[in-house]
Amino acid sequence: MGLSRMLQTLRSITERVPRRVWAVAGFSLAAIFPLFNVLGFMPTAWLRVGVVSLVFVMLSLGLNVVMGEAGLLNLGYIAFFAVGAYTTALLSSPKFGLRWPFWALLVLSALLAMVAGLLIGLPTLRLRGDYLAIVTLAFGEIVRLTITNLQPLTNGPNGVTGIYPPRLLSQGAIDSLQASGWSEALLKWLVIDKPIEYYYLVFVFVVITAFLISNLKNSRVGRAWNALREDELAAVSSGITAARAKLLSVVLSAGVAGLAGSVYAYYSNVISPESFLFMQSVIVVCMVVLGGMGSIPGVIIGAIVLQALPQVIRESAGAMRSEFEVYRMLIFGLLIVAMVIFRPEGLLPDKLWRQEVHEVDPRELEKTRQSLFDVEEGHQDLEA
Amino acid sequence: MSLDHIVTVTIGGLTVGMIYALVALGYTMVYGVLEFINFAHGEVFTVGGYVAAFTLFALGVSDQMSTVAIIGSLLLALVLSMAVPAALGLLVERVAYRPLRGRSRIMPLLSAIGVSIVLQQLIIIVFGPTPITMPTLGISSASVSILGARIRVLALVIITVSVVLMAGLTYLVKATRIGKAMRATSQDMEAAEMMGIETNQTIAFTFVVGSALAGIGGLLVIMYYGSLKFDAGFLYGLKAFTAAVLGGIGNIPGAVVGALVLGLTETYGVSMDLGFLAWFVVAGLLMGLYVQLVLAPKKRLQHISDDRRTPGYERSIANIYRLAPYLAVRTLVVERTDALRSVSARHAVRLMLGNLFLVVTAAVLFANGSSRIDTRWQPVIAFVVLMVILMFRPSGILGKHITEKV
Repeated sequence: MGLSRMLQTLRSITERVPRRVWAVAGFSLAAIFPLFNVLGFMPTAWLRVGVVSLVFVMLSLGLNVVMGEAGLLNLGYIAFFAVGAYTTALLSSPKFGLRWPFWALLVLSALLAMVAGLLIGLPTLRLRGDYLAIVTLAFGEIVRLTITNLQPLTNGPNGVTGIYPPRLLSQGAIDSLQASGWSEALLKWLVIDKPIEYYYLVFVFVVITAFLISNLKNSRVGRAWNALREDELAAVSSGITAARAKLLSVVLSAGVAGLAGSVYAYYSNVISPESFLFMQSVIVVCMVVLGGMGSIPGVIIGAIVLQALPQVIRESAGAMRSEFEVYRMLIFGLLIVAMVIFRPEGLLPDKLWRQEVHEVDPRELEKTRQSLFDVEEGHQDLEA
Repeated sequence: MSLDHIVTVTIGGLTVGMIYALVALGYTMVYGVLEFINFAHGEVFTVGGYVAAFTLFALGVSDQMSTVAIIGSLLLALVLSMAVPAALGLLVERVAYRPLRGRSRIMPLLSAIGVSIVLQQLIIIVFGPTPITMPTLGISSASVSILGARIRVLALVIITVSVVLMAGLTYLVKATRIGKAMRATSQDMEAAEMMGIETNQTIAFTFVVGSALAGIGGLLVIMYYGSLKFDAGFLYGLKAFTAAVLGGIGNIPGAVVGALVLGLTETYGVSMDLGFLAWFVVAGLLMGLYVQLVLAPKKRLQHISDDRRTPGYERSIANIYRLAPYLAVRTLVVERTDALRSVSARHAVRLMLGNLFLVVTAAVLFANGSSRIDTRWQPVIAFVVLMVILMFRPSGILGKHITEKV
């Protein structure tokens, strides 16, 4: 009881601070995070953890579109990530001796992932929630097994190695800039190969994604998604084209995953089918559930907590690493069950979700009714 | 394709199919009652296998023991590999599923995924990450000769045991009091409750029976293959779920039929030459053409004849009937006769494309006639079957059409 009261006090304090302030604080903290490393307060390993966490933030933001907003459970989400990662890896590595420009590959990876999303989305839209989950799971496994089995193309289980670091401008452009007297130190930033550079690259993508998705959430499309999630029949009766709205959410989320995959491939330098197991999909789902489905700050927190915390613990665990891995998954499993049973709306819930999951407080309902009456009475006054 | 090869492959497919069936029954029973996919069922199956192997090791079973002792310890392993998963199923239902009853569809599924991860990690913590193996016994390598093919005795044992268990289950569901309660609960939980049925107990009992069957499945698998890995339940569970959906989820005989079809498809898929598989495609194409060209036009003609009830027409309609196949070919070519009146051009184009696809597939298969599908693709077969069946016929082969409850 003491704990719950403490939490309540904490919440009443935190709720007094507007969300915008929290967002700005979080943003600035994330923006200056690498500086701790530059100043020597923090080992570089933590910076690497930061980069991967940001990639997962992107992934869970993407999954949130389809799962939190549109209410479609996707258990093969990591497949789109894989499509993006392998597109980048194959077209920018010694495997085929290709080095396509960074921006082109970024767009292509997202596009191909979106095509994959369209392929799986089109025939499955009329399926109900749990069937859809299983079909997407099967799709994810098919993609992974195909990558593993297509040895001549993908090197099978060995993966693709030696992915070139991204250049923000083409080599020719960099050379001509150098010729026209730009300093070497400045041009070095155009080739992304240090963790801090990767960090800011991914950070920019995360900010853009979060911004776009939060705008979309409050738009006509976002409301259509929410309506479909709450009650498909009612939504369709009010004139929402269910198929189009759902397909849009699936394709969009796939695109975000493809983008994340592309960046991840560049960053990790080596990719193999091992990174795209079903468990990874579950982990991303777990991030969304933990943070709060449909809530963008919640999802970001969820991803950081589930990705960074275990890494940090593992860094400090030292010799106990392999045992820790087992317990990590055990804790994940317990966490999902506990969250679903005790706090299905997540840590930082979306307003709409909280109302949907919990019984509405009767006093609150009374308040709403009162205000409705007020409005009606006001009208009557006007008429009189 | 020699006869003994066919026998070997068929029996292999039936054996695998029977194991899928034992696991699929649990999925289908739970879905029938609660309309939710018990994702953790595959892990319950793995636990059954682990418990069986562990029991046999603990008893120190080997061929040096007397036959009675061996049979006794096998029976003990059987009982334990039923009891432990049953208790587990009961516990999981109580802890992770019952609090979620009445929530939206996604929630219990998420909870089930969580449970499945927990069980998998618990297996690793208790037994270690290396696969558990069976003590070597004479019976696991014994074989008999049927029609020139060498068949493992265990395969026949598995088929027999499964058939007996399924007969028992059918009796339980169809002829006992608790079975009646199960059927009533699955039909309408609220109404069943009003009729005095303890639905909570009935659901718990469903979990117990399903988990016990899966546990036996685990025992049979570890005896047949000799070892089991902690994550084996994931693949077996998914395949069994495929089987359940294939036969129409919620439908008990359907699960068995679906499992056998899946098992046979898988084994035939990877052990036949592509040229042989092509004949299956050709057969499918011919069946499709027969339906499109003969049966469907006949039905349409019948429809037309129903419309105009004038006796004078009847004779001429009957004549057209006889000419139906000819007429049908003409329809597909010319597209301007009565028979095609109720078919949209879009539909006809779709049918044509479907036929074309089958023709091309058959041609490709014939062209690579002597090669085979690599066994590495075997899991993909099951996944593709699952996706196709869910997309095109979610109610399964034997299932009734599922209408959404509003």
